[in-house]
Amino acid sequence: MSGQSMSVGPGRTGALLLVAPALLMIGFLFVYPFGYSVVSAFTDNGEGSWHIANFTKAIEFYSKDILFTIVIVSLSTAIIGILAVAIAGYLTLGENPTAVAILKWLYRWPLFIPFIVSAQLMRTFLAKNGMMNNILTSSGIIEPLAAQSYLDWRGIVITFVWKQTPFVALLVAGAMASIDRTTIDAGRIFGASRLRILIELVVPQIATTLMVGLILSYVVMLSVLSVPLMINAQSPTMLTVDMAWRINSYGDYGVANALGIMSYLFTGVVAWFYLRQSLKDKGA
Amino acid sequence: MTLKSVLTGAISGAVIAVSMPASAETQLNVVTGGSQNMVEYVTDYLGPLFEELHPSVKVRVTGTGPGDAGSQKILEKLEAQSAAGKEQWDIDVIVAAQKKTGEMKEKGLLADFRGNIETGKMVTRETAENALGVYVGGYVMPMFHSQTAIAYNPALVPNPPESYDELREWVKKYPKQFGYNGIKNGMSGVAFVTGWMYTYSGDAKTLQNGPYDTAKKDSWADAYAGLKAFNENVTFTPGNAGTLDMLNRGEIVMGPVWVDMFYSWQADGRIPPNLKLKLIAPGMPGQPYYYATPAKATNKELAEKFIELATSPEVQAEGIVNRFNWYPGIDADHVKASLDEKVWNKLFTDVTPLELAQKGKPFPIGPYFDDIKEGYEKQVSN
Repeated sequence: MSGQSMSVGPGRTGALLLVAPALLMIGFLFVYPFGYSVVSAFTDNGEGSWHIANFTKAIEFYSKDILFTIVIVSLSTAIIGILAVAIAGYLTLGENPTAVAILKWLYRWPLFIPFIVSAQLMRTFLAKNGMMNNILTSSGIIEPLAAQSYLDWRGIVITFVWKQTPFVALLVAGAMASIDRTTIDAGRIFGASRLRILIELVVPQIATTLMVGLILSYVVMLSVLSVPLMINAQSPTMLTVDMAWRINSYGDYGVANALGIMSYLFTGVVAWFYLRQSLKDKGA
Repeated sequence: MTLKSVLTGAISGAVIAVSMPASAETQLNVVTGGSQNMVEYVTDYLGPLFEELHPSVKVRVTGTGPGDAGSQKILEKLEAQSAAGKEQWDIDVIVAAQKKTGEMKEKGLLADFRGNIETGKMVTRETAENALGVYVGGYVMPMFHSQTAIAYNPALVPNPPESYDELREWVKKYPKQFGYNGIKNGMSGVAFVTGWMYTYSGDAKTLQNGPYDTAKKDSWADAYAGLKAFNENVTFTPGNAGTLDMLNRGEIVMGPVWVDMFYSWQADGRIPPNLKLKLIAPGMPGQPYYYATPAKATNKELAEKFIELATSPEVQAEGIVNRFNWYPGIDADHVKASLDEKVWNKLFTDVTPLELAQKGKPFPIGPYFDDIKEGYEKQVSN
């Protein structure tokens, strides 16, 4: 809302009243618990003096898991980006109308499936003697003995990518549909291949949307508990599992909150990019 | 079956919610930790039975989930109501795991009720007095006892290992054929690790009975190093159910499981009928689930009646042993009389009563339990 529309709007008090419910919700459901967890992370569950013992313990116990979380989420984000551009690119530039229609109909399905259901699906699909390996062996693509379980870090990445790609592809496809077709036609007239048109002409024009989609996916994946819990039996594992473990097994909110603060920092970095980008967009 | 029971559960929940304001019925709120089978036990069996005897009462069941996590939620709810200074708490009966029940007792959240009920005299087992180092005599009634053991496929493993020592040798010979779920994915894995520590830490008695000594954990490095080497040859499974799933698909041939879950899955045809159990020496832990009533329960008397019914010999025989394959919570002599010999023997096909008495161990006392788990995180998995 710009300054101009404010002056003809409901006035300052009215405006404040209008945003008050939203502000209160954020205050009670986010700012207050957030402050509480910060305090708890730096003290003994909200009591006693300030210290960083919870953080040193978190790093001592879970340094591998911290690294694992960042690698898994970053890798998944990168793959999601590539696949989303490929899908949206084909929807925009594809020349076979039937294939485009089928893809359009198919690619959104995972959007409607919750993470926990995806995890359960993958658990039976990716297991050593699961559906995927059974299909591969019975069709003679791999030897039965070569079948291996994907229920480890690969399983997490596969599930994240499967679940989040449609979301980013949806955003990106929308953006691609609204760019000026003449740039694409110009590329075609000069004989550029479709891949080159996609990479050099289309992607730069939708880069902002792509980045926003990827940032949102990154933040969502960082917060998912069910997928690593259900798919990854091994250690290292993701931070959400460790947080749940600290609370459920030891009733230890201090270290859990310290791990939580670290997650906030990871999301904070990308959130900063997101905010900077959206401010730039508003300014333009 | 499960879907159906979830649906009936949801529907009966909805029916209760709808019928509540219309009648002046009393609502008895039962909150249960544990897996789905625990909720089913109350919704499908115990709740209707109690309602039949007390027509003006509706039993409403809430499940909070398996492991210490589920029981922790009950603890937090009671703690919040206590901190808010409420005079009447909205939970009447709780069903919770051992360690968390001990913590609830320590925090003064539970009522001393065992003296008020008839069946209170029928429990003499140690777990009725001692919840991992916390004295709970009078405050709890054991609902059932459960035990962990190693499940194996006799077609592929004709001579299963008899002890932890033999198991160590076995996994070297057959790498990746033994699977367990670590410690963050459910209690059967925690139980396996606990049994390992009882075997190799040198002093199982102190771990089980105290006294607690902070320095003790420093002497466990060798036991953990051995476990780390053992883990090299092991397949990790995703959870208690995950171990059974992998046994079912033939991805592993051996792994620690809960005895009751094992028999229930076998009865449902979810694992092959030929799988067997072995309780390895020197022993693996098991635990009871407890009935208790909060210090300020709204319907104190009804809650006591409910627990009395639940721990009566008939209900323990029919519900706990026959339908759900658990070992009884009250002393076995009282239950055996109400049961068919066949049903009783089914419980003890693979693990004999003598083995159970010799090799069924309690979990360690609270602080040692935490030390064992933290030590594993630090020295085995990190």
